[in-house]
Amino acid sequence: VRVPFASAKHAAIAKQVIEVDRELQPHAVKRSLTVEDDVLVATFTTLTVRLARLTLNAFLENVELVVRTIGQFGEDAERVPS
Amino acid sequence: MPGRLRKISPLKNPDRPYYALGLEGSANKLGAGVIKHDVDGSSTVLSNVRHTHMTPPGEGFLPRDTAQHHRTWALKVIEDAVKQAGISMHDVDCICYTKGPGMGAPLVSVALVARTLSLLYDKPLVGVNHCVGHIEMGRVVTGAQNPVVLYVSGGNSQVIAYSKQRYRIFGETLDIAVGNCLDRFARVINLSNDPFPGYNIEQEAKKGKRLLPLPYTTKGMDVSLSGILTAAEAYTQDKRYRADAQPTLDEDIITPADLCFSLQETVFAMLVEITERAMAHIGSKEVLIVGGVGSNERLQQMMGTMAEERGGRVFATDERFCIDNGIMIAQAGLLSYRMGDTTPMPKSTCTQRFRTDEVYVAWRA
Repeated sequence: VRVPFASAKHAAIAKQVIEVDRELQPHAVKRSLTVEDDVLVATFTTLTVRLARLTLNAFLENVELVVRTIGQFGEDAERVPS
Repeated sequence: MPGRLRKISPLKNPDRPYYALGLEGSANKLGAGVIKHDVDGSSTVLSNVRHTHMTPPGEGFLPRDTAQHHRTWALKVIEDAVKQAGISMHDVDCICYTKGPGMGAPLVSVALVARTLSLLYDKPLVGVNHCVGHIEMGRVVTGAQNPVVLYVSGGNSQVIAYSKQRYRIFGETLDIAVGNCLDRFARVINLSNDPFPGYNIEQEAKKGKRLLPLPYTTKGMDVSLSGILTAAEAYTQDKRYRADAQPTLDEDIITPADLCFSLQETVFAMLVEITERAMAHIGSKEVLIVGGVGSNERLQQMMGTMAEERGGRVFATDERFCIDNGIMIAQAGLLSYRMGDTTPMPKSTCTQRFRTDEVYVAWRA
């Protein structure tokens, strides 16, 4: 899954935030998260199709949350405090 | 009390004001709060915003829906908290979040936001134990010096006392928490979950007239609650049970109000007993009640009676601080932070089981 971001910094932030939590079934789901420029690349290998669906759903929900957080607070964060 | 040495607190007054943002989401309450530690050593609540995931009567809350609720509301609640505090996120010294214990998915949802904010604003993260958060907020709001803490909520029921840099658990529930028992019973009799089931049980109990026999299960310093829950639920299947009747001593009937009353009296009496045991062991004269169930006035009243008979007193907070909130996480987190503790990103996970005595309480003597 390739998720584009507004900048390389944002993509890196997303990677660091999401990779902290372990997969719920690490022996059945293999995950790799990398950043290519401003794109977050997530590769999943699962034992079953059902697991792939569940893993992807959870991943996308998490990405959506991070993206919304960056969207709401990103601008304010860039603003240098007076 | 033996050897009352006034120990010097390792926490010195700060040289400048410190601010912390606390994020809480271990159960169905999503909270964000900003706290300020001033140079004179005082703690001020700058904002305390909370949004609760409410379910219809007869239903409890499930992890998946709760996590979704938190994801939906997190940003709004945090935005409101920072705005109401009148500061900017840049002024915050650290971002504190609930590391555990609690429900997995909701905890992680909040942690994701905490981590993102931490990286965006370049602020350190502090993972906080939910139980310690309750205790620290209770201490700062009530000013209790060294009380026996009764921490009773929907997820936890523990009797705690402080000793040598740890909050030691003296007694606890062997199976389910007090709030869990009350909430599940409220579901069986179809009480509303607004504002929270325990409140409606308390109001119903005031109308009850009949004290029905329920198993009284204290086990030494601990309590067991699942048996009482089953017994109370069994009464609703009893021939004498009338779901819609008003309590009366004239007819031999059982009403929901009678059951609420009996359940509360039995369960709270057990809690008072185990708290008294801990008080007797330590020789303490103060009781601090924290956690959602702590807002129940009958419990406070019963505990007060016991404490006064022992020449002590009870400290309790109101529902702003009793019920899960973000400000307690901010308070406990900022205390940790000021003693030099932060949570590096790779370690900023969440855990469903996090014992209260796992936390190194560096900020107390």
